[in-house]
Amino acid sequence: MSKLEPVLRKSFFVVIPSNARDLQFCILFIFLCLARAHGQSPELPAGPMQAKVTTACTECHESRIIVQQRLSKGAWTKEVDKMVKWGALVDPADRDSFIDYLSVNFPPDKAPELMPRVASAKKH
Amino acid sequence: MISRRNFLIGIPASVGAAGALHPLITWAADQSVYVPGDEGMIVRSARFFDLEMPPEFFDSWLTPVPHFFVRNHMHEPSMIEADTWQLTIGGEVEKPLTLGLADLKKMASHSVTNTLECAGNGRGFQQPHVPGVQWQKGAVGTARFSGPRLRDLLERAGVKPNGKHVMFHGLDEVPGKVPPFIRSIPIEKANDSDTLIALQMNGAPLSKHHGFPARALVPGWIGAASCKWLSEIKMLEKEFDGNFMKPGYRYPNHPLKPGDPLNVDDSHPLTALNVKSIIAAPVDGSTMKSKMLHVHGAAWAGEAEIVKVEISTDDGGTWQPARLDREQAKYAWRLWSYAWKAPKPGDYTFLSRATDSQGRVQPATADWNPSGYLYNAIDQVKVHVEA
Repeated sequence: MSKLEPVLRKSFFVVIPSNARDLQFCILFIFLCLARAHGQSPELPAGPMQAKVTTACTECHESRIIVQQRLSKGAWTKEVDKMVKWGALVDPADRDSFIDYLSVNFPPDKAPELMPRVASAKKH
Repeated sequence: MISRRNFLIGIPASVGAAGALHPLITWAADQSVYVPGDEGMIVRSARFFDLEMPPEFFDSWLTPVPHFFVRNHMHEPSMIEADTWQLTIGGEVEKPLTLGLADLKKMASHSVTNTLECAGNGRGFQQPHVPGVQWQKGAVGTARFSGPRLRDLLERAGVKPNGKHVMFHGLDEVPGKVPPFIRSIPIEKANDSDTLIALQMNGAPLSKHHGFPARALVPGWIGAASCKWLSEIKMLEKEFDGNFMKPGYRYPNHPLKPGDPLNVDDSHPLTALNVKSIIAAPVDGSTMKSKMLHVHGAAWAGEAEIVKVEISTDDGGTWQPARLDREQAKYAWRLWSYAWKAPKPGDYTFLSRATDSQGRVQPATADWNPSGYLYNAIDQVKVHVEA
């Protein structure tokens, strides 16, 4: 830890906890972040529309349904319009950006999505 | 007691560390989905719940329930109590009925071993790609379903002469403004002696994922016909008019060019499954350490029977018969195997092609359709054999 310390200080602006209590506290925060992420579906790709697409689409279903698609822009247009018809809340002003975001990130020629396997249950 | 200074430092420290670790957290979260009882299944989606059987589980004639694919258009019902659940039978009938689970259990029970396949199985292989769950080989399984015959229930209710279609309504929980999951089948299929209201699967009550306490079981047809969490049966004069009958689950009457839209008025509802075989092992892209290969898989044909499965190792130039396993039943798949020795190390491609009792043969390229339904192209697996 002593060899890493100067590197960590420089790269993350982090103050290393100086006693066991502080360390426990920091670990608790990290754990809570991990716990929030644990079992969640994959994040949609980064980009200006990421948050809006995530909110609109994952209201009903998780992101894996989206990330496994490989569609042309025309096909994405049909899908977005169908989802709006079925209740997805998309501001009409954002419709074209939604379509662009999905078309750019999940085009026909992208390699197929590798989906996870159900893991054996762990005892927590 | 933590000092205030250290507390104030600790928060950004932790957030900073968590932020730095974030890509790892996401990777770790992506890799692990926990569903007790379904270990090893491929997660196509955790919400809505769609699990696919991987190739290595195609190793038994009856698929154990934990290995049976799960398909849901929407949310599974959050709570069904066996004691209070009811099934109503109405519409064009003389005597509308309301039955509980105990009533159904008192009726004469019949068993059918059925290969249930999702209409969209293989969609992931269709080119150009189409929207939907990108199933590959494993949205299919074979189980022994038991329960009263649907026709016995319909007889009790007394179907009127104009009752021509049987509508099924399940308790799927509908999100947003999605139409409810309602479909219908023609009365001829409903009255078939093998069409059931299934209560059991492989000798045990249906599990929640598979439609507890009762589901329709329409043998040899697409999985969507076998409505889960059945709550209402209604006799109709005409085919049900709703999303999951039109435009959903329809097949073009004439072949389409890839990319063409569906003309709903020139289409028919999907019914019986296609002739199909898949290679379960070896897995596509694998490296084999031995020249002796045990190629095996499954073949099925909906309401028809598998007559033969043939394997080619020369890109379809010549075909050799695979050995069909002995276990068989009217609507169930045949497992098959083919022992082969590589003449020398190198790259090899196996093709499997099934023929059924209706004379149908798997095509080299599946008919393209906008929903990727009934994909049944000759299966292909490439392997590398090491020295």
